[in-house]
Amino acid sequence: MAVALKSWKALGTSVHVLSTHDDGLDAATTAVRDVLEDVDEAYSRFRADSELTRLNANAGRTIRISPLLATAIDAALRAARLTDGAVDPTIGRAIRVAGYDDDFSRIAAEGPHPALTRERGREAFPPERGRETFSPERGREMKLRAWRVPGWQGIRLDRRLRTVWLPHGVELDLGSTGKALAADLAATAALAAAGGGGVLVSLGGDIAIAGEPPSGGWRILVAEDSRARPDGDGDVICVPSGGVATSSTTVRRWSRDGLVLHHIIDPQTSLPTSGPFRTVTVVAATCLDANIASTAAIVRGEAAIDWLSSCGLPARLVENDGTIHYIGPWPDPTRVAA
Amino acid sequence: MDSLTPTQRDRGLERLRRLTFGAAAGGLIGVVGVGIAAAASYAGTPSSTATAQTTTTTTDTTTNSSSSTSGSDLQSAPQAPTTGSSGSGTVTSGGS
Repeated sequence: MAVALKSWKALGTSVHVLSTHDDGLDAATTAVRDVLEDVDEAYSRFRADSELTRLNANAGRTIRISPLLATAIDAALRAARLTDGAVDPTIGRAIRVAGYDDDFSRIAAEGPHPALTRERGREAFPPERGRETFSPERGREMKLRAWRVPGWQGIRLDRRLRTVWLPHGVELDLGSTGKALAADLAATAALAAAGGGGVLVSLGGDIAIAGEPPSGGWRILVAEDSRARPDGDGDVICVPSGGVATSSTTVRRWSRDGLVLHHIIDPQTSLPTSGPFRTVTVVAATCLDANIASTAAIVRGEAAIDWLSSCGLPARLVENDGTIHYIGPWPDPTRVAA
Repeated sequence: MDSLTPTQRDRGLERLRRLTFGAAAGGLIGVVGVGIAAAASYAGTPSSTATAQTTTTTTDTTTNSSSSTSGSDLQSAPQAPTTGSSGSGTVTSGGS
């Protein structure tokens, strides 16, 4: 079965739309573009006119929000609940203070130490709330002040009235669930627009599948970097339905005073995670669930294997030294299907 | 029938008083117990004027609950993935 493909950039990452119906690809692509524009307007952290930016600026007040933002916040709260807070949307301030405060293409690769920066006349990491931790990077130890993020439990979301209330000082970041949710929504819209067949939508390596797949399933190369060529090294799996997501500390990185930072924040410390796994890939019923599990696994560190096993989801974990672990019904990489 | 002495009559009245108090207390405990059991087992239907408040409270309780489900509600794909080989139509899943 032939597969048609279109690719472009959106949401600060690459977008790929594949369709088993060549005739439906244009319609599917248009549908995906529309979904991504709506997502950008609703919950981009980097647009001054997005709903999320307005919400974050109005903590302490009840704000009425669009159905899409309500869905996104609901998904983020579900992720927090299912992961015991390992995936927490209240990391907004922490990730901004760490240096990820703009579209990643505009982030300076180098800069001053985040703990030395000052924000609104205060230390970015207030010592009265913090504790000291050590983060070994590049063979050195650097002292950072850290504290637990405000916590998702303080968010008040009324799904029926579509209102949300954030405690003072809380900034939401929906990055851990928002892109995967967008992939799911885009795949559903693309299938409806294509009028049948099967579609695959990839947003920066977070993949959602809808409709009838090609024979044997969609072929997906599992790699550290979503920019890796599809014919490059790595495990190839065939996925007939659901979603695939990969979380990694190796790609979206920057440096402050020699300390290498990345975008996956540990809510317990407000700092980038420093656990044993650098990349985790999960297959689930939706891209959202796959991404919740893969991100939580990075944050949970050594406890990730037992936790993923209890979830029953196929997963592939790469340790910092390159050792690979396969969890649950992940296919045997040495056995290629006929 | 022989008439009761004053002492026997007082003892009888005291016994009757204890039995009466015990029955009343037992009945009260029974009513409260049944009420608690009924309240716990029947959620009830809110009146139309109370719907909004009830909904809000339920929502807040749900979203703010810190009780753990340990990822058990994360849904598996209907079919497990299989091993494949790269070729036409292959896409990459990786960090971004």
